[in-house]
Amino acid sequence: MRLPDELDTLREAAPAGFAARVLDRVGVPAHRYDCYVRAESPVGTLYVAHGRGAVTGAAATDWYADDRAFEDAYRARTHRSALSGVKPPPGLARALRGRDRTLRYEFGPLPEEQRAVLRATRAVPFGQLRPAAWLAREAGMPDLAPEAVVAAVRANPVPVLVPAHRLCTDDGLPADCGLPAAFERRLRDWEGVDAERVERFVRAGARFLGSGTTRIFCYPTCAHARRITARHEVPFTSADEASAAGFRGCLSCRPAVV
Amino acid sequence: MDETTLPLTELLATDLDDGFTELVRTQAGTVRAVLLRLSGSARDADDLGQETFLRAYSALRGYPPERRGQLQPRAWLLTIAANVWRNHVRTLSRRPGVADGIEVTTIEIPDGCPGPEQLALDGARRARLVAALSRLPDHHRLPVVLRHIGELSYQEVAGILDCPVGTVKAQVSRGLAALRAEPGLAPDRGAYGAAEAKTAKTAHEPARTERKEATG
Repeated sequence: MRLPDELDTLREAAPAGFAARVLDRVGVPAHRYDCYVRAESPVGTLYVAHGRGAVTGAAATDWYADDRAFEDAYRARTHRSALSGVKPPPGLARALRGRDRTLRYEFGPLPEEQRAVLRATRAVPFGQLRPAAWLAREAGMPDLAPEAVVAAVRANPVPVLVPAHRLCTDDGLPADCGLPAAFERRLRDWEGVDAERVERFVRAGARFLGSGTTRIFCYPTCAHARRITARHEVPFTSADEASAAGFRGCLSCRPAVV
Repeated sequence: MDETTLPLTELLATDLDDGFTELVRTQAGTVRAVLLRLSGSARDADDLGQETFLRAYSALRGYPPERRGQLQPRAWLLTIAANVWRNHVRTLSRRPGVADGIEVTTIEIPDGCPGPEQLALDGARRARLVAALSRLPDHHRLPVVLRHIGELSYQEVAGILDCPVGTVKAQVSRGLAALRAEPGLAPDRGAYGAAEAKTAKTAHEPARTERKEATG
């Protein structure tokens, strides 16, 4: 190795938090910039950016060549600087374990309808799947085209934390939510989405699952639907069909307006 | 709004706080790395780095927008950093009891870059290089660090040191030569370098002895 190249290796990165300390000392108000931390999650290390009391971005660290590449991409998206910080937003560790109670989110410059869809996405429970029509209805825009919903979900700037990976197609199969396929699979595996069971219902054409004992029908991944024993499973291809058979929609997964 | 295409200098001209945040984001690493190699200690590098940006910010506040728009950010910041460091050294020399000038502290391992096994392999050599660099006299270390750690051009370094470009080139090359001459840094530098040096020596020596005999 030539000596000048060796000297290059001495150009080491500043420790995390150095840039933020500089701005603090200089007196640039904290609301003018965002910070990000590297956080360990069940699906690998993530960058999590936050500022002004809200989480503003997330990405797996291996989607970027280095920290600078992430910062540049963040700047291009939000027009704000992200500095490497040391303190994660309170509640992050919990949220990464699937218990997102306290975090607030700021989705950056997205159209209002996409923000509404993303807010609705947060309501999909851990380990469950919902189709685009459900998200549109929960977002208060039942007439929104499914393509627009999928576009909103793919624009999700906070993957993993805002569970866009819980979107499914109208058939009930997990949908492509714009993340690397292997990463999506890892997320769903971690959440315990039973791919075999989901596929079995899709092959049978069953969009909803009713219980012969309670006469309530659910999305097949709903926690209540998973408890129905095999001999009481009553599959339906549409909500209307279920209603006609005298079943009512589940109050937790809300397969139809109830 | 097409803010993404705005270069840093224009940001500085239009919105000082936002521009300065970008300045810190993109340049803080370089400024700190330069100060780390100049001062030799991580704590000093942190303090001097903060001091540098504090000065930069108050200077920028006094500049009219056109002047902010024409800055060469890295060269300008490193000029301030070099001044801050020189002041620091002068202060230390006036109060010798407080600290011993340059201290070679433990080398921190940067996040990510080289893998652990590569670090273990290069660690000793790297430590020797760091130590050798900190032993260089100030008038060689400053140009070498500005040129190779700060990645400035010779012209920019000449501007900071306020001397001709040729002088800078000479200082940098003497500084590098002094580093190469360090005993700890020689053996690893490729077998061919050492072998060449040896053959050159052996080729020269008989010639010289012959000449001696001829004259004697």
